[in-house]
Amino acid sequence: MDYAIQQLLNALSFGAEYALIAVGLAIVFSIMGLVNFAHGEVIAFGGYSMAVVGTILTGNPLVLMAGVLIACVAVSLLLERVAFRTVRNADITTGLLTAFGVSIILQNLYLLLGSPRPISATQFIFLDRTLMLGPIHVSSLQIYETVTTIAAILFLTLFLKRSHLGIAMRAASRDFQMVRLCGIRANRVVATAFAISGLLAGLACIFIMARRGSVTPHMGFDPVLTAFIACVLGGFGSLPGAVLGGFILGFLEVGVLVLLPQTAGGLAQAAVFLVVALLLFWRPDGILTPAAEKGDKL
Amino acid sequence: MTGVFLNTDQKRGLIGSTLLAILILLIVGAYALWGESYQARILYATFVNLIVVIGLQTFMGNGNYATFSHAAFMGIAAYAAAICVTPAAMKAVSLPDAPWGLNAFEMHPISAAFVALAITGAIGALTGLFMSRLTNVSITIVSIAILVIVHSIFLHRTDIFKGNQALFGIPRVFGLGHVTALVILAIVAARLFRESRLGLRLRAVADDEVGARAMGVNVVRARLVAWIVSTLFFATAGIAYAFYLGTISARPFYFNYVFLTVAMLILGGLRSVTGAVFGTLLISLGLEIIRWLETGPTLVGVKLPEMLGLSGLLLGIVIVGVMAFRPHGLMGNREIEDLVFRRRKTMETSK
Repeated sequence: MDYAIQQLLNALSFGAEYALIAVGLAIVFSIMGLVNFAHGEVIAFGGYSMAVVGTILTGNPLVLMAGVLIACVAVSLLLERVAFRTVRNADITTGLLTAFGVSIILQNLYLLLGSPRPISATQFIFLDRTLMLGPIHVSSLQIYETVTTIAAILFLTLFLKRSHLGIAMRAASRDFQMVRLCGIRANRVVATAFAISGLLAGLACIFIMARRGSVTPHMGFDPVLTAFIACVLGGFGSLPGAVLGGFILGFLEVGVLVLLPQTAGGLAQAAVFLVVALLLFWRPDGILTPAAEKGDKL
Repeated sequence: MTGVFLNTDQKRGLIGSTLLAILILLIVGAYALWGESYQARILYATFVNLIVVIGLQTFMGNGNYATFSHAAFMGIAAYAAAICVTPAAMKAVSLPDAPWGLNAFEMHPISAAFVALAITGAIGALTGLFMSRLTNVSITIVSIAILVIVHSIFLHRTDIFKGNQALFGIPRVFGLGHVTALVILAIVAARLFRESRLGLRLRAVADDEVGARAMGVNVVRARLVAWIVSTLFFATAGIAYAFYLGTISARPFYFNYVFLTVAMLILGGLRSVTGAVFGTLLISLGLEIIRWLETGPTLVGVKLPEMLGLSGLLLGIVIVGVMAFRPHGLMGNREIEDLVFRRRKTMETSK
């Protein structure tokens, strides 16, 4: 029983992390059709800025958290301005390959300016403590992660449903031209999408740093790849789909780790992707495909 | 049916591939006349990359999808060919724990190559069942998943693949001549595929999927066949790689190689075989110049890890720059014969 609850919490926290990243990918895709391969590098940028601020200025975790969030939002907006604005009206493959190129550039910049080896930044480790809830040991980080993700998704939903800009963003995901004709600036809508994406990447970065305690050029790659799979599984561009896909991936991963024998641990990711491939065979467009993809916006 | 007679585009395709073949032969000839022996290796690697990039063009270029799994198929073929062709006595040393009697037989290189092609083609067909049904973005993501799955299997089954260690003792049966022949074959095959009925359908799907469907194009089948054909190109490249180097490991068949080959295709232009050839030659030349600069006396204090970062950085800049300023690459929709002979005005398409 303890074991089952423990694994359930594991699955929830994994799923929460993937959902956070996947929503960041989906919101940019739904607005401008960009598959943002550079998302993982935004997360890594958060890690590097934490390492730099942490050694030069202050070790205060609250300041550092704010710093990570600001850094991720800033770099996300910068990438939009510098790289993605030129391909805004291009087809999906052009945007995708641009993002792919940006991701290579950033990774190699981290290699050149930073180091291929991990740089330690341990200020967030304190988030990860073992708590006793009755007879069960739980990690406080997992609880923070799940709660933060749920709160972030609630705030995002509220923003998209209630605020002026949020409604414009939802409209833009259906028909950008129409939104512009209504007198809303395209740049503001796109920039907001990138800012939200960067903010979610920053949150994910804080939790990843709390778990790892060090930053490497490729640290964003694995979680973002899984988040991409989550987006595809949920239906690319659908925000509920991204959340659903993220949690499915979290549960699948924990399930595979529990079921597979210890010796096959290296194949866990492969097994998860294989299950997803089978799910996609059943539903090639993902589980919650937005209706727009099926006809009106081709 | 017009089985024997080629239509105008296909005839132009033959002319174009002949021109490209002459270009390849000129390069090899220049090497034979003035080249130094260490350059044979560089030229061989370039030609292996060229086969991969041409293979990428058949699916990624004609269909306008971004796929990143080619290094995985190349790896599968390289390992399959290597395990088949290595003498049993050598495998007793290099693969002592291999299951299923993999270390107890040996084959002629030709039959080993065909076994490797068949295995890779079969895996291509199996993955193609998924890939051909997916939509644009999902194809990219699932192709990355394939790359990760295959790589983790290479790393995990050290008893068969040796993981990051080298699988050594493969007979070095290929030379520059073999790979030159394969490159020319690949160019002709890719060009004929592009101008074939299937290639035309695939390009139509890339331009307007709904329109192509409405005209009766079986999109799933067009994608499936193109996907399998492209895996066969990757398999050929993988076999040529293993048969020349004599040792292989899992490390080269991963993301760095994917970056390199995708950048080559993008620079030249996704839509034409000529673009694939030019892009590969230009980037290979560029990387050699960078390496030469880095070892040269003009640049001081550049260490090895930084060197890796620098060439990667330039590849990324090439991709972003081409996408921003010339989204269809150097060649766009043109092939080499369009530069030499003008296409008749009626043939001109609006795009």
